[in-house]
Amino acid sequence: MKKLFLPALLLLGLLGQAQLKADDVKTFTLKNGMKFLVVEDFSIPNANMYLFYKVGSRNEHQGITGLSHFFEHMMFNGAKKYGPKLFDQTMEFNGGANNAYTTENVTVYTNWFPASATEVIFDLEGDRISSLSIDPKMVESERGVVLSERSTGLENSPWEQLSQTLGGVAFLEHPYHWPVIGYEDDMKNWKQEDLERYFKTYYAPNNCVVVVTGGIKLEEVKKLAEKYLEPIPAQPAPPKVNIVEPEQTGERRVLVQKEAATPYLMIAYHVPEAKHEDYYALNILNSILSSGKSSRLYTTLVDQQQLATSVFSGFGESFDPTLFQIYGITAKGVNETALEKGIYEVLEKIKNEGITETELQKIKNQKLMEFYDQVETINGKSNNIGTYEVFFGDYRKMFDAPAAFNKVTAADVQRVAKKYFTRSNRTVGVLKSNTEE
Amino acid sequence: MKNFKLYILAGILLATTFQLAAQGYKLPAYEKFKLPNGLVIYLMEQHEVPLISVSAILPAGAIYDGEQSGLASLTAAGLKHGTRSMTKAQLDEQLDFLGASVNTFASKESSGLSAKFSAKDKDKILSLIKEILLNPVFDSTEFAKEKRRLLVSLEQQKESPRSVIGAYFDKFLYGEHVYGNIVQGKISTVTPLTAEDLKKFYAANYRPDGSAISVVGDFNAKEMKATLTALFAGWKKGPKTTSANPASAAINKPSENRVLLVNKEDAKETTFFIGAPGIARNNPDYVAIDVVNTLFGGRFTSMLNDELRVNSGLTYGAGSRFSALKNGGSFIISTFTAGKTTEPAIDKTLEVINKLHTNGIDEKSLTSAKNYVKGQFPPRFETASQLAGLMTQMFWYNFDESFINNFEKNVDGLTVEKAKEIIAKYFPKDKLQFVLVGKAADIRKIAEKYGKVKEVEMKEEDKKSF
Repeated sequence: MKKLFLPALLLLGLLGQAQLKADDVKTFTLKNGMKFLVVEDFSIPNANMYLFYKVGSRNEHQGITGLSHFFEHMMFNGAKKYGPKLFDQTMEFNGGANNAYTTENVTVYTNWFPASATEVIFDLEGDRISSLSIDPKMVESERGVVLSERSTGLENSPWEQLSQTLGGVAFLEHPYHWPVIGYEDDMKNWKQEDLERYFKTYYAPNNCVVVVTGGIKLEEVKKLAEKYLEPIPAQPAPPKVNIVEPEQTGERRVLVQKEAATPYLMIAYHVPEAKHEDYYALNILNSILSSGKSSRLYTTLVDQQQLATSVFSGFGESFDPTLFQIYGITAKGVNETALEKGIYEVLEKIKNEGITETELQKIKNQKLMEFYDQVETINGKSNNIGTYEVFFGDYRKMFDAPAAFNKVTAADVQRVAKKYFTRSNRTVGVLKSNTEE
Repeated sequence: MKNFKLYILAGILLATTFQLAAQGYKLPAYEKFKLPNGLVIYLMEQHEVPLISVSAILPAGAIYDGEQSGLASLTAAGLKHGTRSMTKAQLDEQLDFLGASVNTFASKESSGLSAKFSAKDKDKILSLIKEILLNPVFDSTEFAKEKRRLLVSLEQQKESPRSVIGAYFDKFLYGEHVYGNIVQGKISTVTPLTAEDLKKFYAANYRPDGSAISVVGDFNAKEMKATLTALFAGWKKGPKTTSANPASAAINKPSENRVLLVNKEDAKETTFFIGAPGIARNNPDYVAIDVVNTLFGGRFTSMLNDELRVNSGLTYGAGSRFSALKNGGSFIISTFTAGKTTEPAIDKTLEVINKLHTNGIDEKSLTSAKNYVKGQFPPRFETASQLAGLMTQMFWYNFDESFINNFEKNVDGLTVEKAKEIIAKYFPKDKLQFVLVGKAADIRKIAEKYGKVKEVEMKEEDKKSF
């Protein structure tokens, strides 16, 4: 089990033992540009491999929307050595399991396996990265699967519909405009050549960061990487995403009709990408607003005023400027405009009066516990290391994060609230049954 | 996403109880003792991170709801609505400030508490846990707010087939047996509930005898034993005896195929369960059933997912699971498909069931399932919270570490012949119970193909039983 490896704890003044140092993350880069980050951890007889490809829906254009996510599926449908079905069959036969996910920014493949099966995993990954077969019959069958994935999302959650519509209005030019799952008509029309070009361009070893954590020695990982992955040729760097979303100059509003017991409300503000200097202050602001039942939004809107049955906020890592989102479900008998007004009052209070030192300390205490959660397991370790490497440009930033959080003052939080929570910078979405009134 | 977590967890639901036997692993040493009032306490030291996890289990689940569906769940939630020494707001503030989490919840048979906090805060948080469990006040203002939120949430769930199909299925399968009780409650039964009802339910069902608390993490067991004894020794025994368990009544077995068609007027897909009675948690074939179910519907390459997703593209995913409780359980196949492909999806599901019974399992598949089940379990007991949860499960279902330490041996002992017997005995091929949630006008005729159809409206409150 878990050595802690974030000096986070030291810097937050709470740590004693067992933290891992930046030096305990070993790295090497293959000749083809594929970068490896390795943590030896023999706490359980298992290991994992997380592959972060820097490709997501932001690399698409209209006509091929949803292709990144579709490709994530195709990566399981057969290559040269391991044909159709054999990737999963071989992995499971060897005691391993896998999954994968796609976002606007990245496509991530996750393998979890007994450490003794590590070589098989390298063989499987090497095979599909070097020589995936894109069989038209498989493409057709898999198209049905992703259409079902899209439909079941919309069928079961009003948020899916509302956030897709809102994203299309908040971003008018930047590719965050379309949903990761894609437009239904694009999904039905992806062409063979689109897929082939996508694979060659983005599934290049030099566009991938690999993290391995578990009961295996660095030397062994290196040997396997050289054997199975180094022969795969590098490709020219993928084209840059040049579009920058122009500054929003006035509030935008959207209304969506769908049967709902009470209206769903979503408010989104444009905020910067992960590498921006305001990232840590915004991250803390997000927690102040909605982390726990003593948070600002919950106490005010759910508990005291009872305008909402639930309310939360979200702000995550991204390559390009993104959205800071606030979501709420209106309480019975409450007009959604009352909830919207209530949310603005909470935000205005922070803008005008700031936050208290106690609140700030509370969030810093919570961040410490979050760190423990994230690094308590070998999977949490790989995920965290990979995220910092990909979104912040260097896994070592993870070791600087605690200092960065600690440096944030109450005044910084107030400053970013004032800077980004403006009327002209927001998009407001409402989903409800009756949109005619 | 490639697939829902469903497929990883789909084995037997209590998959979390397997672990650590693989590759020579044993459950780490722990201590178990009983206070004079009957409360059982488990302690396990784990010093790798300065954290402590707590898990508690109490005989106060939805099976004790009676006519007041939702009562156990609201009572569990109400434990955190303030205690004799602090208001709900003070409690939330204190927990949040320390970055601690304390959650209370009810399930079908039991209620529980789970907590995670920094080791340096152990005295403060353990005292709070004691207050929450022993001295809740069930404040009526807080209850009114909670109820209002729950009623909206129950209404919202009627818009999401995935959120309600499980409750429909349990009611359909178990009928009047208390395992058909709906944990979250119904609008008609939650509406009249009061804080007084919660107090009564609490007085009748929250008691030390029949309950257990496990604590895992960075502490000294001797000191922890003294702390917990001081905190919980004064908890008075309850009035109820174990013979009062309403779940011990016999469960009626279905005698024919039946279909419950739940009409959702604006549905674009059909979400369906096909199931039958399952097993109790103490079934001696528990591990063998899990291995066979892994092949049938418990992982990505399982027969069900292979046929319905990989070969035909009819769905994003299909799987099966056994939900095992103390006195019985259910077996469920679950999937969803576009409305217009309802019939091929159901037909294919039935074909896969037949294939399992006709062809059985070959040596290679069995080896694969064994490797998979063994390979995937060490991460299930990696954290203090997982270990704490395991020990309360051991208490509740009355098994000990031999189950874990012998797990690998039991998996390895399964032969092709034995697997064949397991299939014949535990995997249903007739008297199937279907629940279809979709647009009835389009699928009513199809539903009739599979058995006698009973139709209900998703928007309307369900009747007592179907």
